[in-house]
Amino acid sequence: MSDAAAAHDHGHDDHHGAPAGWRRWVYSTNHKDIGTLYLVAAMVAVLIGGVFSFMIRLELQSPGLQYIEDLQFYNVLVTAHGFVMVFFFVMPALIGGFGNWFIPLMIGAPDMAFPRMNNISFWLLVVGLLLLLTSALVAGGAGTGWTVYPPLSNATFHSGAAVDFAILSLHVAGASSILGAINFITTIMNMRAPGMTYHRMPLFIWAMLVTAFLLLLALPVLAGALTMLLTDRNFGTTFFEASGGGDPIFWQHLFWFFGHPEVYIMIVPAFGVISHVVSTFSKKPVFGYLGMAYAMAAIGFIGFIVWAHHMFTVGFNVETRAYFVLATMVIAVPTGVKIFSWLATMWGGSIEFRTPMLYAMGFIFLFVVGGVTGITLANAGVDIAFHDTYFVIAHFHYVLSIAAAFGILSGFFYWFPKMCGKMYNESLGKIQFWLMFIGVNILFFPQHFSGMAGMPRRIPDYPEAYAGWNFVSSIGAYISFAASLLFFYIVIQTLRSGEKAPANPWGEGATTLEWQVPSPAPFHTHDQTPDMRPQPAE
Amino acid sequence: MVAVFAVGLFSSAGAMAQQPHPWQMNFQKAATPVMEEIIWFHNWLLVIEIAIVILVLALMLYIAIKFNAKANPVPSKTTHNAPLEVIWTVVPIIILVVIAVPSMKLLFFMDKAQDPEMTLKVIGNQWFWSYEYPDHGNFTFDANLTQKEDLPDDKKSLYLLEVDNHVVLPADTSIRLLFTANDVLHNWAIPSFGVKMDTVPGRINEAWIEVSSKHMGTYYGQCSELCGVNHGYMPIAVDIVSKAEFAAWVEKAKEEFARVDEPAVDVARIGARGTTAGR
Amino acid sequence: MSADPQIPKRRPAGNRATALSLAVFVAGMVGLAFAAEPLYRTFCQITGFGGTTRTAEAAPRGIADKLITVQFDANVNIQLPWRFRPVQSSVELKPGQEMLAFYEATNLSDKPIVGTAVFNVAPFKAGSYFNKIQCFCFTEQVLNPGESVVMPVTFFVDPDMVADANTADVSTITLSYTFYAADDQSKAARIQADRGAPSAASDSKS
Repeated sequence: MSDAAAAHDHGHDDHHGAPAGWRRWVYSTNHKDIGTLYLVAAMVAVLIGGVFSFMIRLELQSPGLQYIEDLQFYNVLVTAHGFVMVFFFVMPALIGGFGNWFIPLMIGAPDMAFPRMNNISFWLLVVGLLLLLTSALVAGGAGTGWTVYPPLSNATFHSGAAVDFAILSLHVAGASSILGAINFITTIMNMRAPGMTYHRMPLFIWAMLVTAFLLLLALPVLAGALTMLLTDRNFGTTFFEASGGGDPIFWQHLFWFFGHPEVYIMIVPAFGVISHVVSTFSKKPVFGYLGMAYAMAAIGFIGFIVWAHHMFTVGFNVETRAYFVLATMVIAVPTGVKIFSWLATMWGGSIEFRTPMLYAMGFIFLFVVGGVTGITLANAGVDIAFHDTYFVIAHFHYVLSIAAAFGILSGFFYWFPKMCGKMYNESLGKIQFWLMFIGVNILFFPQHFSGMAGMPRRIPDYPEAYAGWNFVSSIGAYISFAASLLFFYIVIQTLRSGEKAPANPWGEGATTLEWQVPSPAPFHTHDQTPDMRPQPAE
Repeated sequence: MVAVFAVGLFSSAGAMAQQPHPWQMNFQKAATPVMEEIIWFHNWLLVIEIAIVILVLALMLYIAIKFNAKANPVPSKTTHNAPLEVIWTVVPIIILVVIAVPSMKLLFFMDKAQDPEMTLKVIGNQWFWSYEYPDHGNFTFDANLTQKEDLPDDKKSLYLLEVDNHVVLPADTSIRLLFTANDVLHNWAIPSFGVKMDTVPGRINEAWIEVSSKHMGTYYGQCSELCGVNHGYMPIAVDIVSKAEFAAWVEKAKEEFARVDEPAVDVARIGARGTTAGR
Repeated sequence: MSADPQIPKRRPAGNRATALSLAVFVAGMVGLAFAAEPLYRTFCQITGFGGTTRTAEAAPRGIADKLITVQFDANVNIQLPWRFRPVQSSVELKPGQEMLAFYEATNLSDKPIVGTAVFNVAPFKAGSYFNKIQCFCFTEQVLNPGESVVMPVTFFVDPDMVADANTADVSTITLSYTFYAADDQSKAARIQADRGAPSAASDSKS
């Protein structure tokens, strides 16, 4: 079933054999089409999640309650914003979207190892999103934060089906990702073209391999925890209920054991994208390839043993807190290797500052900003002052909403010509970058100040003193929203009237296999496995 | 009532109230040795972090100028430089070790058990805090948010910080805080004290503070763990007063506030070994 | 890129085997999540994590020469209509000395109810040195309407706590209990059935 290659032996690119109409999409077993479906779904999700955050910032623009009177609704907005962005925007865009599109292309495979399972993964994701939106609409919604801590999330304090729908949504989305991870790992391990050893794989493939292993190991723990919460809520178990000998803190351990690797699941694919973009536009191979590959593996591995830095104030032994401080700080080392390696890649290069490269450079700088506030938070002593304040919100939005999003946008502008066969308008692209860059910094940088001054998270209204920076932050949100709209305009404009894109629009720096196939990439590619073995003549 | 008494006391004494200020960019002023250490460590760490950010920015600006396609049409082929790779692995490790040392000191300093002279029990509820004074007659009271309309005009900035009953504590006294909750997770936090502790139903957490008489005044904090719809509406207010004022307040409070049930049985009759310490 | 007869054909069986081994990983991790519950409990027992105390058969020989204050704290869950309080607010003892203390619980409602208690000590680092020889934790306690019971706790503080540099500074330990309505109200239901009155089992649980 996976050998679509065996049957077709045309030797030239075309849509021969491609199904037509809605069946092409609903029943798709084609990695490119499924990748496109994921990207479209991610775009829908980012608009939904973005509208939620827009509403939050609108309310927080001034002290007092202006637009939202139902405070449960506010908590539901906060919760849904987090879930939608994490599970239905960032992950589908990077992993489902770029992963599906470019893993087979880059390794010389005709498709994924399990094309039908690939299809299931996508539609499970859609079901997951629908379940999440349903949860917001029933029984007052889940107002628990994306972290779903009991007792607030148990049946006593969230009676009704909303949290159950949210749990189901995450189960389904988790299943989608686990199946996807199995697919990706199998594909990467078994289907590389001959000659493409692990140490000759593109770094994006390394990034996806590490990410897939993180998914494989972390998501099942979330599934277990969610099941326990579901049975606590509905079947009388007491995993997290003190009355039955359980412990609400146990949930936190399980959730964050998943939750911390989850943030690396969101950023490691972006690391892969940045390596490709930086290398392409500097016209140089990535500096220190092995260091880069193993740094990603190290980050992934260490990411599994630092979870309790999210729990420094629950009350546990100082020795244990000390361990988690030190382990968390260790991650800075492989991360630093990557930052410096990217800079060293650019050093001596011949850099063209096209839109993908602007986003990649923005990523590098802003990820460092987010990363250093992470070092602050990692130190449990100081974290007492910052836990559950806007400082934490500033930190994770810098590394996710800015860095991961920039990684997505960088990859999008980079690969869009390959996916749709048309060139976007470069001037518009640059304008969009700068508008976004300005917007997100005005949006999130002041939140560091709010946090230092003591403003807590997840509140719909705040003491007057916090009004100043909140106002500035909201302006930044509106600018970012405008930048997002400009992005969608560029996408539509390109699809309608963009110039035809060559196989390789980026020049000598684009050296991976996807640039060898035409733009747009044909329905079937690599029907013949490319020979990547080093030739004696080379 | 007691709050009015406390506030009246302070306006005459001119003691400070520690609340956030508009456009504030740094921590609220420290009132405990723990918070002073936190502020010191944070500022020290920030210098290192800013240096790192500036370094990366400077390198990127240099690269943008020196290695753009116009300035450098022929890219180099360098992909390795072992000494450089060693440096940028080892130097961060050194920096992290340098950070870890004061960090551990701070962490263990905060954890050191003190010989507490009194205990305050803090209980989180949806959506207000209750307090018990087990060593002072075991009275208890709730602290509810003061609504905006009930605040005097010149104190509207205290909306979402002010409550009807302040916690009153003596200065220059080692105070043990015990935390628990009656329903869901809450978190009791006072920025100036450097205290932030989850209150977990079914268990007790512990922290300690000592505020010197140089820092007497009123301090505000807010619940710091999402606990339902009114999570943003259950703040905390603590008055640090002199020992004499505290003793006077305790007498008033014993009369005004309800008692947590007292131990009712005469211990001697049951034949416990050892001694019993006073209430 | 022409077809090279030397390039081996892909084998679907290889893919299936890989996928299966990965699926085993997944199952393993789910299993680990569920195994975490007993593992977590055991871990807490062994390390005194979170102020988890120990159970001992009898007090050790040897008494450390330091006076420790043990404070008694009591909490009742709002859904349990009981009064629950320590009989003595605190005691002073030396580590190694066996001590007997009491808590008193009273059912303030008009129906029999089964209660159960959870507990921990603070500071947490004292947890592994706090040993209970006999207590009423997790034992289901049935109280008839208006009935009171005095519940004993026999404990000692391990003298090693004074020798351990980490815990040498501890001079006050708080033992805290929280009473909940037990999930299993069958004992109360049986009492009610014997009397022929409606049971509390249906409305005492969340």
